[in-house]
Amino acid sequence: MTSRKPGSSDHPKVHEAFGLMKRGRMDRREFIRVAALLGTSATVAYAMAGLPEPAFAASNMPFPADDPKAKAGGILKIAMEVQKMEDPATYSWVPMSNQTRHTLEYLVMTGPDNVTRPMLAESWTAAEDLKTWTFNLRKGVMWHNGEEFTADHVKWNVERWLDPKTASSNVGLSVFSAMVDVTDEKDAKGKPIKRLSKGAIEVVDKNTIRFHLNKPVLSAPEDCYNYPTAIAHPSFKPPLSDNMIGTGPFELAQLKVGDRCILKRITKTKDGKDFNYWGGKVYLDEIHYYNFETTNQLPAFASGDVDGVYQFSVEQLDLAKSLPGAIHIARTAQTIACRMQVDQKPFTDKRVRQAVLKSVDNEAVKKLVYPEGGDIGQNHHVAPVHPDYDPLPPIKKDVAAAKQLLKEAGYENGIELTIDVGNTDGNEQQTACEAMRDQMKESGITLKINILPSAKFWEIWDKTLFGCTAWTHRPLGTMAMSLAYRTGVPWNESHYANPEFDKALDAAEATLDVHERKPKLMKAAKILQDDAVMIMPYFRPIYTMVGKSVNGYEGHPTQYHQFNKVWKA
Amino acid sequence: MLKLIGNRLLQMLLIMAVVSLVIFAIFDSDKFKRQIAVAELGGFAVSALSDQDYEAWLDRKGLNVPFYDRYIKWVAGVVTGDFGRSFEKAEPVSRLLGDRLINTGILAFWVFALMIPISLTLGIIAGMREGAVQDRAVSFVAVLTTSLPEIATAIVLTVIFALGLQWVPANSAMVNGWDWRQLALPVMTLVLYDCGYVTRMTRASMAEVMTSQYIRTAVLKGLPHRRVILRHALRNALIAPFTIIALQLNWILSGVVVVEVFFQYSGFGKLLLDAALFGDVYVIQAATLVAVFVAVISQIISDVGYTFLNPRIRFS
Repeated sequence: MTSRKPGSSDHPKVHEAFGLMKRGRMDRREFIRVAALLGTSATVAYAMAGLPEPAFAASNMPFPADDPKAKAGGILKIAMEVQKMEDPATYSWVPMSNQTRHTLEYLVMTGPDNVTRPMLAESWTAAEDLKTWTFNLRKGVMWHNGEEFTADHVKWNVERWLDPKTASSNVGLSVFSAMVDVTDEKDAKGKPIKRLSKGAIEVVDKNTIRFHLNKPVLSAPEDCYNYPTAIAHPSFKPPLSDNMIGTGPFELAQLKVGDRCILKRITKTKDGKDFNYWGGKVYLDEIHYYNFETTNQLPAFASGDVDGVYQFSVEQLDLAKSLPGAIHIARTAQTIACRMQVDQKPFTDKRVRQAVLKSVDNEAVKKLVYPEGGDIGQNHHVAPVHPDYDPLPPIKKDVAAAKQLLKEAGYENGIELTIDVGNTDGNEQQTACEAMRDQMKESGITLKINILPSAKFWEIWDKTLFGCTAWTHRPLGTMAMSLAYRTGVPWNESHYANPEFDKALDAAEATLDVHERKPKLMKAAKILQDDAVMIMPYFRPIYTMVGKSVNGYEGHPTQYHQFNKVWKA
Repeated sequence: MLKLIGNRLLQMLLIMAVVSLVIFAIFDSDKFKRQIAVAELGGFAVSALSDQDYEAWLDRKGLNVPFYDRYIKWVAGVVTGDFGRSFEKAEPVSRLLGDRLINTGILAFWVFALMIPISLTLGIIAGMREGAVQDRAVSFVAVLTTSLPEIATAIVLTVIFALGLQWVPANSAMVNGWDWRQLALPVMTLVLYDCGYVTRMTRASMAEVMTSQYIRTAVLKGLPHRRVILRHALRNALIAPFTIIALQLNWILSGVVVVEVFFQYSGFGKLLLDAALFGDVYVIQAATLVAVFVAVISQIISDVGYTFLNPRIRFS
């Protein structure tokens, strides 16, 4: 397949990236991702890369092309935890966003292939300095109340997310954090309060909105598909489930938290007009979510109660293989960080932390917990699935060195440590910690495992001295490193503070060229690894499954559901 | 008798007032407020909130008013049937609790409908001839079923009847509407566990009655064995089991937690566990009031029934 060249309308950095790809310094998948993020349509980006594009309906549509064999109608039943739908901007779990995703939509949509495509925004462009982003909104999008979707509605949403009263985690996303300024106001503890910068949001016209950022951000579109960024109608008042006005093809028919969530195709607007959905054909009549905890989802599927599951655990893989249907295994950057607070005794002594790390064989832990799928961790937060990953030299368990380090630190007779585990993403966390406990014995470290209910764990996840925290998938290696280990950031649970690391990470984040970025990011990763902040034994796979009658389903690395083109035979 | 009932009801109100006050006080702590925030916003989001934002969130949730204000408001609501709104389920607690109590009521009905005749029959058969083969056999089975935890019984029954024989569904989530077959396993689990206990109590009571002098007299008078059992022994032997069965009402409310969670049955027990894990204070409060109510009512039924069944107390 021949490839085409970027045109004059493409962003300068697309030209730069194209050159890098041609010189073999950027792989084609990464080029597509970068080009799409900079406003080039996915179709054109695939053409430039010389790759056949996956079957998508049109260059400016987020959904796959219609399947000529597809049958309209039917109910798709999925086993998942059914949660309340109060305020989409403060959603804290993916299942509640899945319940909302077919009603409230996003400016963009990142597909299972990690490429971000236009959704409510038809296209976007970025200034050369990556500090100004312009989103051209799709025309003819209709709200469920018959109103037309406009740029003012997007402005209202972004302002709301950035209002401290909303308490939305969207403030932490790169693009939105670059739209707030520190004010003179201070909270009760004297911390400065951040508010939306003046002029950060500009409504250019009815269908165009522009974001003015105070620092360059590469991943602005990608951030707009983070699950709490669903676009709500300005009439929205919590709880969402009481009056859900969206732009999507389904409406909420019934919600019983902890029991079921029923979505039905919307055909009429609330004022009785015909509802015209912008996204083309949608096959299913209804989507039903039934409440099953993770361990009960596959048994519910096996008994024929549901057509698919949100996820199942690795212990259930053999059971899944024995059932008729399609298993989807996604390679992800989801992981656990068994991190120590470096400013708390005994972890203030780096030798103790190093001894802990040297006592554990990450490969053995990974093989024990995930015999199939997943990747071995190297005690830093960049995963092999990240485009900016490069392997560091393998780390090895070294009992003698661990003992020596403990001796030097004054723990000649060993040390007793306690790790808090919440099993927030399944019992694999506990299994991993138990494996580490057994391995640490050899070095004289007695590891006690304190199991907490997951809700309890989330109360102390950033306070506990030694804790096992689950981190979700993020598309770039720089993202989690920046969120969790940069000095003073809110999610820096290990209290790690190293200017040298911050500097290395800054350099990586400012580099578009993935080949140039790799050594910079891995330099930061090596600093983090050497400082022995955490044991990160693996990056876990995500397992989902649907029945034989379900067509058009694809597993997403962040477990997002998008069933517009799913149909049942 | 009326005085006894009146006293019990008064006690009930007092217990309810004290328990609700204590629970309110416990859940008024910063720790539990934070637990609700974490459950609602997520641990990552809460840790990123400034103190001011957190206080604003508490205000919006009505958690930032003084404890006594909230309690008085809640008590006033309870009097009018308003138990507050669930933080987790986002619906009025009274409606939520009503739905779940109906489901657990259905489960309890079938448990009692099967457990009472089975356990009384077995207990009487065993107690009629202490030490005989049927006594030893019934006692062995009764001890076995009681000593097995409900979770173990549930697993065994699921493996045999759902996965092995495939006679009944493995869960009771009622995904495709109400299905009586889905009640089979939870009912069987509870019946097996409770049957053993009530059977043993009935057997002990029957055995004791059978050794009493009036039964010996009846036997020596030459009355047929069947008549001795049915006319003389049974009535007295059932006094103790009656009180025990009445108290099982109270047991079933706590006993269903494991069974409902295991079989994914949406009842009172599952609701209580969810609320406890979430820190859903208004649901916990309402569920506690229900538990106290059931405990006191079952006590009253037991006392009143005992009084009527036992002439020595009735005429004293």
